Amino acid sequence: MIKISHVNKEYVLDADNIFHALTDINVEIKDKEFVSIIGQSGSGKSTLMHIIGLLDRPTTGKVTVNDQDVSKLNDDEISLLRNDFVGFIFQQFNLINKLTVIENVMLPSIYSRKKLTFDPQQKAFELLKRFGLETKIKSYPNKLSGGQQQRVAIARALIMSPKLILADEPTGNLDSKSGEIVLSLIRDLNHKEKITVIIVTHDMNVAKQASRIIRIKDGKIEK
Amino acid sequence: MNYFIFIITSAYVDLMRNKARTFLTTLGIVIGVASVVLLQAFGLGLKAYIKGQFDSLGTNLVFILPGNMFRAGGSGFGAGSMGSAISFDEKDLNSLKRASDAEIIVPSTMKSSKIEALGKSEYATIYGTSEEIFPTRNLEIDKGTFFLKSDINKRTKVAVMGPKIAEKLFGQAEFAVDQKISIDKITFKVVGVLKSKGGGGFGGPDFDSYVYIPYKTAFLVNNKKSFSSFVIKAISSERITDLKNETDKILLKRYKEEDFSVAESKEILNTVESIFSMLNMVLVAIGGVSLVVGGIGIMNIMYVSVTERIREIGIRRAMGALEKDILLQFLSESVLLSLLGGVLGLLLSFLIVLILRIFFPAYIDLSSMLMAIFVSSAIGVGFGVFPARSAAKLLPIEAIRYE
Ligand SMILES: Nc1ncnc2c1ncn2[C@@H]1O[C@H](COP(=O)(O)OP(=O)(O)OP(=O)(O)O)[C@@H](O)[C@H]1O
Ligand SMILES: [Mg+2]
Repeated sequence: MIKISHVNKEYVLDADNIFHALTDINVEIKDKEFVSIIGQSGSGKSTLMHIIGLLDRPTTGKVTVNDQDVSKLNDDEISLLRNDFVGFIFQQFNLINKLTVIENVMLPSIYSRKKLTFDPQQKAFELLKRFGLETKIKSYPNKLSGGQQQRVAIARALIMSPKLILADEPTGNLDSKSGEIVLSLIRDLNHKEKITVIIVTHDMNVAKQASRIIRIKDGKIEK
Repeated sequence: MNYFIFIITSAYVDLMRNKARTFLTTLGIVIGVASVVLLQAFGLGLKAYIKGQFDSLGTNLVFILPGNMFRAGGSGFGAGSMGSAISFDEKDLNSLKRASDAEIIVPSTMKSSKIEALGKSEYATIYGTSEEIFPTRNLEIDKGTFFLKSDINKRTKVAVMGPKIAEKLFGQAEFAVDQKISIDKITFKVVGVLKSKGGGGFGGPDFDSYVYIPYKTAFLVNNKKSFSSFVIKAISSERITDLKNETDKILLKRYKEEDFSVAESKEILNTVESIFSMLNMVLVAIGGVSLVVGGIGIMNIMYVSVTERIREIGIRRAMGALEKDILLQFLSESVLLSLLGGVLGLLLSFLIVLILRIFFPAYIDLSSMLMAIFVSSAIGVGFGVFPARSAAKLLPIEAIRYE
């Protein structure tokens, strides 16, 4: 489904200092796979995840989504692909605090250019109900606990029924109990709904949940 | 949820989150729109006022004036029109009387003088003229009588005055009749006081403060024995053009074309109006400067707002928002902001005009209202587009990693 070949990501720090965040990365993610990316802090996990999720472009190398070369797409086309193909779950939740919980969940549907086959409000409510948040739909995210916020974020990631879920340290800001709940929800997305899931973590216990582990160190994949 | 409703309600919600800031930012536009609308309202009022004054002068009138300012196709308001002005005399009066389409010819000589009476003194316009001025200009007597045709040749020292000057000098119009006044050291008897014609007080002619005396009496102190203008009443409205041609021909025998104008009241009105609209345009342009300042205020606050919301922009982009979605979001916010200023400015000007109308017939017409709405939206777009573009052009990855 997604193929990353010979990808490099460089940051120009100053005139004679280039930082190599990713070096010659080759990864293939297959449909309905559950993959984890593990590595130390600063190793380039998030950078790789952002490239896979079409939030960032590599400096060199090729990214193909369903055999389509993404580097040939313009910003609008990439944004629309991001809108209905990918769902993000972040460590810092990244909810918009001035929007209510249900408005946050509906947000991706606002930006869709396709004719929606569902009623966003109804679907958002059903997702929130499924995650035990039906009493919080009119609340604002900053009034919720971390675990609740992350469940809102998962609902938001699912509203467009994406083929791919990317979760970057989804339990990083949670205590072990709510972390466990969030993790089991993400696991169910793969096991029960057959959605492709990539989970980024530095925690081996989290990484073990996946069927395949990709280790990354100093921007390179370890064999 | 409909996309546009969403964009506009979220812009509204964002503006209402910081009411004080929103209000202070719109203030520039409020003041700008109010000053432009008010200046226009004032200009419109002035135009209507001048037209009213001309209408009250009387109908079928042709004016003969020195200089070519009012000459059709002449230089208009500009070089040499007043400088080398000629003045007319009794010879002109007699030759103009030969014009067959003229019913009445009224000469006039104007002078501003100090008038003294009962120890009080006032400045007024002294109008040396014939008795025919009264019917020609629709002037009616309130107390006493007009002066007569015979008073002219007898050089009688009599005066008919407007009600305003009579009140100023004698306290009450009726007290003026039969009183003595002194103009340029010559003593006159007041024989009549006119009914009010209204107006005056805005730089326009204040007819109620005029003092009318027989022109030959006026010549006692006017050594040149000259007239400053003639008013000729045509025998009918169809004959006005003929009358103009005729009088033009008569005067051309003695004067050069650029030395005098023959004009109907509507031509004079057009000239005066065009001068006023020019003046008004300049004033409105000055008011427009505060609109630009208001626009810069909006631009500034929108840049602040973009910086404050980089993370939010990043989240929206990660959820699939296009550059144009972000552009539209910020643009609708700046337009809403300046439109709010426009509407408040319009309301403010309505309020001020309501009060102003006690003294002056200013009014706001539909085109001023539409202009206020249009201009303030245009400012929202014009000054909002730069910050909105800077928001749209943020790279999604950098925006979402921004702390
Ligand atoms: N915009 C940037 N400019 C310069 N360096 C950057 C930039 N973004 C990331 N980096 C660097 O790239 C490296 C990889 O960053 P990345 O966020 O992918 O790490 P990570 O593996 O996700 O770490 P963590 O577990 O702490 O989240 C880091 O050393 C980081 O400093
Ligand atoms: Mg990271």
